[in-house]
Amino acid sequence: MDGKRHPNSFQQLEKLGEGTYATVFKGRNRQTGDLVALKEIHLDSEEGTPSTAIREISLMKELKHENIVALHDVIHTENKLMLVFEYMDGDLKKYMDTHGDRGALKPIVIKSFMYQLLKGIDFCHKNRVLHRDLKPQNLLINSKGQLKLGDFGLARAFGIPVNTFSNEVVTLWYRAPDVLLGSRTYNTSIDIWSAGCIMAEMFSGRPLFPGTTNEDQIIRIFRIMGTPTERTWPGLSQFPEYKTTWQMYATQPLSTILPQIDPLGIDLLQRMLQLRPELRITAADALNHQWFHDIIAAQKHHPQHHQVPQPMMHPHGGYQQPVPSQGNYGGY
Amino acid sequence: MPKTRALRSATNENDENLNVPTRVTRAKSAANLNVDELAMPSKALQSKKTVANANPTRRRAALDDVSNVTKVEAVDGGKKPLTKPGLVSKATHPIQKRATTRQALTSKEVNKKVETKRSNPGSVGQKRKVSASAVTTSVKEDTPEDGEPIRKKVHRLGADIKPKASAEAKETKADEPSRDEVVPAPEFNYPTERPLSDNIKALESEDLDDPLMVAEYANDIFEYLRDLECTSVPNPQYMSHQDDLEWKTRGILIDWLVEVHTRFHLLPETLFLAVNIVDRFLSEKVVQLDRLQLVGITAMFIASKYEEVLSPHIANFRHIADDGFSEAEILSAERFILATLNYDLSYPNPMNFLRRISKADNYDIQSRTMGKYLMEISLLDHRLMAYRPSHVAAAAMYLARMILGRGEWDETLEYYAGYTEEEITPVFELMVDYLARPIIHEAFFKKYASKKFLKGKCYSSSIIWSVPFHARHSNGRMQRPSWHVNGQRRMHSCTTSPMLTSPSTISHHNRGSCTCYDTLHTERHTSSLCVRIHSVWLDSPP
Repeated sequence: MDGKRHPNSFQQLEKLGEGTYATVFKGRNRQTGDLVALKEIHLDSEEGTPSTAIREISLMKELKHENIVALHDVIHTENKLMLVFEYMDGDLKKYMDTHGDRGALKPIVIKSFMYQLLKGIDFCHKNRVLHRDLKPQNLLINSKGQLKLGDFGLARAFGIPVNTFSNEVVTLWYRAPDVLLGSRTYNTSIDIWSAGCIMAEMFSGRPLFPGTTNEDQIIRIFRIMGTPTERTWPGLSQFPEYKTTWQMYATQPLSTILPQIDPLGIDLLQRMLQLRPELRITAADALNHQWFHDIIAAQKHHPQHHQVPQPMMHPHGGYQQPVPSQGNYGGY
Repeated sequence: MPKTRALRSATNENDENLNVPTRVTRAKSAANLNVDELAMPSKALQSKKTVANANPTRRRAALDDVSNVTKVEAVDGGKKPLTKPGLVSKATHPIQKRATTRQALTSKEVNKKVETKRSNPGSVGQKRKVSASAVTTSVKEDTPEDGEPIRKKVHRLGADIKPKASAEAKETKADEPSRDEVVPAPEFNYPTERPLSDNIKALESEDLDDPLMVAEYANDIFEYLRDLECTSVPNPQYMSHQDDLEWKTRGILIDWLVEVHTRFHLLPETLFLAVNIVDRFLSEKVVQLDRLQLVGITAMFIASKYEEVLSPHIANFRHIADDGFSEAEILSAERFILATLNYDLSYPNPMNFLRRISKADNYDIQSRTMGKYLMEISLLDHRLMAYRPSHVAAAAMYLARMILGRGEWDETLEYYAGYTEEEITPVFELMVDYLARPIIHEAFFKKYASKKFLKGKCYSSSIIWSVPFHARHSNGRMQRPSWHVNGQRRMHSCTTSPMLTSPSTISHHNRGSCTCYDTLHTERHTSSLCVRIHSVWLDSPP
């Protein structure tokens, strides 16, 4: 990770994604021939290095884990900053579009992906990092069936007690109800909510709560999870976005909404999609959930077994997020 | 002086006797700091012409020489002219219309008006104009301005990164020789895991209902932060490879950053990170005096980007540094500093550890607030740089609890702090020693003497200033006090000591008969100190 390396050390190939703050290209290391992902961050002439980039680089240098995309290098020039990541073949969104049955993946693949996702999240949380933007587009998949967390542009380190943060985090569809209600003191549980949404989406092929606005998002969640009350969620009325006019929905069993999920899977999902953040399962506990027992057992005998071998993908566009928080960078 | 300042900031604003010694000595120290060696903030000096007769060469021993006599002598013994061409010319600068902190503070000493309205918290290390005219040997005037913000060691071949013994010598004329000469590189054997008792387990599980405590991850996280600590400690001897700088210069810079931080209303974490960035950068690169402020302001800029939800706009940073640097220079410095630090801002903030310890203290707001204050000593006093943030946090909390009479450093505190009393002692003693010395960091003192920190049940600095009294004890003039970890602690030789007396006890003392001045010099004044503290208590009851 030396800053002296020149941008020309990498051959720039096709564009993988673009956002307001960065563009991601496929690249090739001219010396080794290895493929990389080059995330080019435009340096604002007014405010300099974006805080998102500062946090992303600093945090990703700390987070070395098999389920977190590796940052190999940082190259900074006068007007741009280039992050060199390990190359991944695509993101989960594209994977679902190309490999899924109308988006839905096979249960065995889902279990493997969920296990890897939770392992990545657990590692972040143990290292006091909140990802804050988990969604299929930010989960990178390679041809070995490995899943890695990418795009730490919204991530940040937290203290204990957890600091006050911005509540403009996480792409709407994957945003936890407490954040939607205006909480600024959320914690690790917001990443778990996102993981739950992603799990449901992998099973059904469709986003679980595809809201269009903050208000619509809340209502969509309540329609399935039931409208909370001060009795079921003490302190609810203290949230900035609390409304007395919410329609009262009854809780629907997740097993009827998502009949394709086995009972143990439903149990885990239920624990991840708790409205009250303090009731949500932690990543560490989720990894020990019975649903994963077969994976853990298989892993003991064949350490690589939980990864699902998959052919290379042919990315093509899926449907776009209505309210992306940062734009789509191809997951980096 | 700490004590006299305390007096003034607390209740004795109009007590002549109290202010006299302060005035003189603080002026002296300001003069020393700002001009004689450092050619530092010019604005402060303009108004300081009236007190320009300080004696910069007189050495003040750490703890024993605090009498008024010498201070008065100092007034008359002026030796160095304080006005310099660069500084004077600065006076005509339009931005300088309003007083800056240091200026305000100084003029306050001259004229007891306490109004400190300022637009700029002073500037540290003015631009080259100043340094060119300064006494300091600034060789780099001719180096071309090539956009690289901090010129590094062009003229010294590779050697400058390595500590050089010779560099230490030049610092002997400093105001606080002992500080500058001796940088104890603490060879502290940091402890590893500690056993878990039942009490502690109970405390742990108590958090399970509180999502903000992230109870399930707390142990993992703190374990991780402790690992991380070792990597983010700056080189505590970096000053030996700096040609242009001295520890005192650094102190001025940090003090100014404290003020900038306060004015921008930033999070405490931001200040600690900013100072860590400054120190780690200075550990790597040689910086010229006239670029030091740029390093400081840029470090604050970077730290707020990292820590704050909403970071102030760059124009604010430029402005608060008195437009001494352009935005382009700050941005260029930002890139250079980030690259030098390898973009590694994963500094385990001592605030994290302080809050953790506070848990074992029932989250007592008073001890935590005071601990926070004491922890900032570790920013200003470079001798604490070598200690890990967790160690500093433990010592700060230990001292805060002692001042407030909060009882034993028990097993639970020890567990959450990660340090035993004995392990804390070296850091704790440095903190006490700092407090016992003359005030040199104005912004730091002002910050905690201000209304904002007095409100909300915080303590006045008056109480804190009772510490120097004990410091002198610990320094061997009297018997080592019992709070030192030597068995029978908590029974101080002086029963009227406010430090170990609870507020209710203090209130029984002879309140109202206080005509004290220079209270801390001798033991017989202790009771008046108590009175003073008592009156503070009445003003802002806990």
